Amino acid sequence: MSLLSVEHVSHRYQSARDDRPVLQDVSVEIESGQDLAVVGESGCGKTTLGRLIAGLTRPAAGTVSFDGADIWQLRGAQYREYRQSVQLVHQDPYGALNPGLTVAETLAGGLRHQHIVPRREVRDEVLRLLGLAGLDTSRAFLERYPHQLSGGQRQRLVIARAMALRPSLLVADEPVSMLDVSMRLSILDLLKSLGRSHGLTYLFISHDFGVVRYFAAGGRIMVMFFGVVVESGPVEEVIARPRHPYTFLLLDAIPEPDPRRARRRRSDATRIAAERIEAYPAGTGCVFANRCPFVRDRCRAERPPSLPVAGASGHWSACWYPEDVPSPLLPAGGAAEKAGSSSLSGSPVPPAGGGPAVQAVDLAARPAAGEVG
Amino acid sequence: MAADPALLEVQDLTVSFGKVRAVENVSLSVGQGRVYGLVGESGCGKSTLAYALLGLVAPPGRIVSGAVRFRGQDLARMSYRELRRLRARHIAVVFQAAMSAFNPVISIGAQVEHILDAHPGVYPSHQAGREYFEELLRLVRLRPEQVWRTYESRLSGGMKQRVAIAFALLLKPEVLVLDEPTTALDVLSQRLVIDIVRDLHQSLDTTVVFVTHDLAVVAELAERVAVMYAGRLVESGTVEEIFFDDRRHPYVKALISAMPSVAADPARLRPIPGQVPDLSALPPGCRFEPRCALAVPVCPLVEPELVVTASGHAVSCHVVNSGLGRDGGQ
Repeated sequence: MSLLSVEHVSHRYQSARDDRPVLQDVSVEIESGQDLAVVGESGCGKTTLGRLIAGLTRPAAGTVSFDGADIWQLRGAQYREYRQSVQLVHQDPYGALNPGLTVAETLAGGLRHQHIVPRREVRDEVLRLLGLAGLDTSRAFLERYPHQLSGGQRQRLVIARAMALRPSLLVADEPVSMLDVSMRLSILDLLKSLGRSHGLTYLFISHDFGVVRYFAAGGRIMVMFFGVVVESGPVEEVIARPRHPYTFLLLDAIPEPDPRRARRRRSDATRIAAERIEAYPAGTGCVFANRCPFVRDRCRAERPPSLPVAGASGHWSACWYPEDVPSPLLPAGGAAEKAGSSSLSGSPVPPAGGGPAVQAVDLAARPAAGEVG
Repeated sequence: MAADPALLEVQDLTVSFGKVRAVENVSLSVGQGRVYGLVGESGCGKSTLAYALLGLVAPPGRIVSGAVRFRGQDLARMSYRELRRLRARHIAVVFQAAMSAFNPVISIGAQVEHILDAHPGVYPSHQAGREYFEELLRLVRLRPEQVWRTYESRLSGGMKQRVAIAFALLLKPEVLVLDEPTTALDVLSQRLVIDIVRDLHQSLDTTVVFVTHDLAVVAELAERVAVMYAGRLVESGTVEEIFFDDRRHPYVKALISAMPSVAADPARLRPIPGQVPDLSALPPGCRFEPRCALAVPVCPLVEPELVVTASGHAVSCHVVNSGLGRDGGQ
C-alpha cells in the first residue's frame, strides 16, 4: 500500500475574476522510500497539491488518504499521527518562522505539544535536532530570534522543526529557491542525508529541473500544467526523453551555466512557444493546446488521457502525439560537444537504455581555456 | 576587445552605509556596445554598484572614495539637472521589482505619455514617441494593442518585466542597467527575457549591464563579467575566462561547481561550506578565506591584491596569483 495517495482531486480557489480550477482530477501515489518531484511553472497548482497532501487545504473533490484512510475522516489519535507523519518545509524561511520565538522555543513547541519526548528531555532533544540540521548548539544560538539568523540558518531551523515530529513524509515546497546560490547545495545535501538516515520520503516541489535532477535522482517526477498532470515517470527518463511538449519546452528553455552551450541556437519549437507564452489554457481539448508548438486538430477537440509511454515502464504522458516530442539537447558527452557545439537538430540525447543514470557530461573533458581566449 | 572605448568607468569606488562598506575599492570599465554581467550573492554589493552607475546612491549610503565616470565625466560633479538628463537619455535602469515599477491606477499608455511629457526634447512629436514604443513592444514580443490600454494588474509577472524593459528603452538610452532581470520568473519567461535582451543588444546596439546571482544567466548573456564577494571584486574577465580559465578565483570555481543543472553530473557537484561573512565584522584578510579550500596561512591576514593580466583578466587571490609574480599590477 502506498504511503499516501491522492485520488481524483480537483480544487479551485474562490476568486471574483478567475474561476479556473487550480487542480483538475489529479491522482498521485507516493510510495514509501520513493521521492516524488513535482515540476511546473508558477500557477500550475504544485503548491496547492503540497498543501492538500499536508492537510492544510481540503480539496473540493477527491480524496487524500494516508495509510489507506481518508485524512479528512481521521479523528483523535489517528489524526495526530497523520499530522506528525507529514511535515512541510516552506519555500520562504523568512515567513515560515514565528519572529517572536527563539530558536529553542521554535523547536520545543512541537515536541511538548505532541509529547514527542518527556518534558525534562525537551532541552536535550532540541540540541539533538540542532545538531542534526547542522546548526550551532551553543547557548547563545538557542536564544537567537529568526531575524538574527541568515537565510541558510533559517531554512535549517525550519527543517529541524519538521524533523522534530518524526515525520515519514516531508513536503518540501521549493526549499532552496529563496536561498543564496552558495547555500543551495548544502541544504539539498542536508535534506538528502536526513532522508537516508531517517527513512523519509519526499514530495519535492520545484520549478528547477537542475535541482530536481540532483535531489530526486532515482525517484519519480511529475510535470504539471494548469492543474493537470501532463507527464510523469522516472526522473532520469523524463529528463532524457520527455514525451510531452510542455516538459520538452521547460527543459529546452533552461538557462545553461555553460557559455559555450548556452549560445547555441535553440529549437524553433521553443521560439514558437515563447511567443505564445500568454495564451490562456484551452477550455476544451488538451489543456496545453494553445501554447503547444506541435498542436494538431485533434488536440483542440479531445482531451488526451494519461497513457503509458511505449517502451518505458512507469512513464506516462497525456499527449495525443508523444512521438512528435523531440529530445532536449542535454549533454551529448565531451567528444560530441567539442565537435559540433553549434549544430542543433541532429544531436539527440544518447538513449539512457532504461538504466537509472543519464549519461553525464564530463566537466573535466572541456578544451583548455586557451582555445577560446 | 580590449580596445573598446570605455563608456562607463568605475574607479576604486567605495560606497558605505554607516560603518558597513557595501562596495569597497571596486574598479571596472564597461565598453560601448558590450553586455556586462555583475554577479554575486545577496548582500555582496552588486546592486549598490549597479545603482552607483546611475549616480543613485541613496542615503545613508554615500560614496566615500573613487569615482564613476560616464564618457569621462565624473557623476559626482554633475548638477542635479545633468544627472537627470544622464538618467533619462543615457543610462536607463530596470529595477529588480519590475512588478512594482508601474502606476497601478493609470493605463500603460498613459504612463508612456507621462514619460514623453517629462522629456520633451527626445522626439519631434508625441506620435513619434508612441510609434517607437510600439516598436519596442514588438521587440519584447508583446502586442501593442494588447498593452497600450491595459493596466499593470492585468499583466503577468513576465509581461510586466518585458513592459518595464520597453519603458526603459523609450528614451533611447545608450546603457541599459537591469537588476536581476530573470529572478522570480519561471523558466519559460526567463528564456524569453534572455532572448529579448540578446535581441535588443543586437538590434539597438544598446550597452547592457545586468546584475544577477544566477551564473546560468551570465553564461547565456554576458560578454564580460565581474564577480563580487562581500563588497569586493574578486574576479573580472570575459565570460570564457570566468568559466574556463585555469586561473580563477576559488569562489568563482566553487560557485560553478555548486550549481545543480540538468546537464551537470550530480556526482560532481560540491557544496560551498560556511556562509557569506557579515559585512560589519569582516576578517582582515581575504573575505572568502573561511570558506576556501585553497587557503594558506597568509590568506586570513593580508587582503589579496587584484592582479590583472594583459588580456584584462583580474583575479584577487593569493594562492591562484602566486605563480604570476607581481608583474600584472593594476
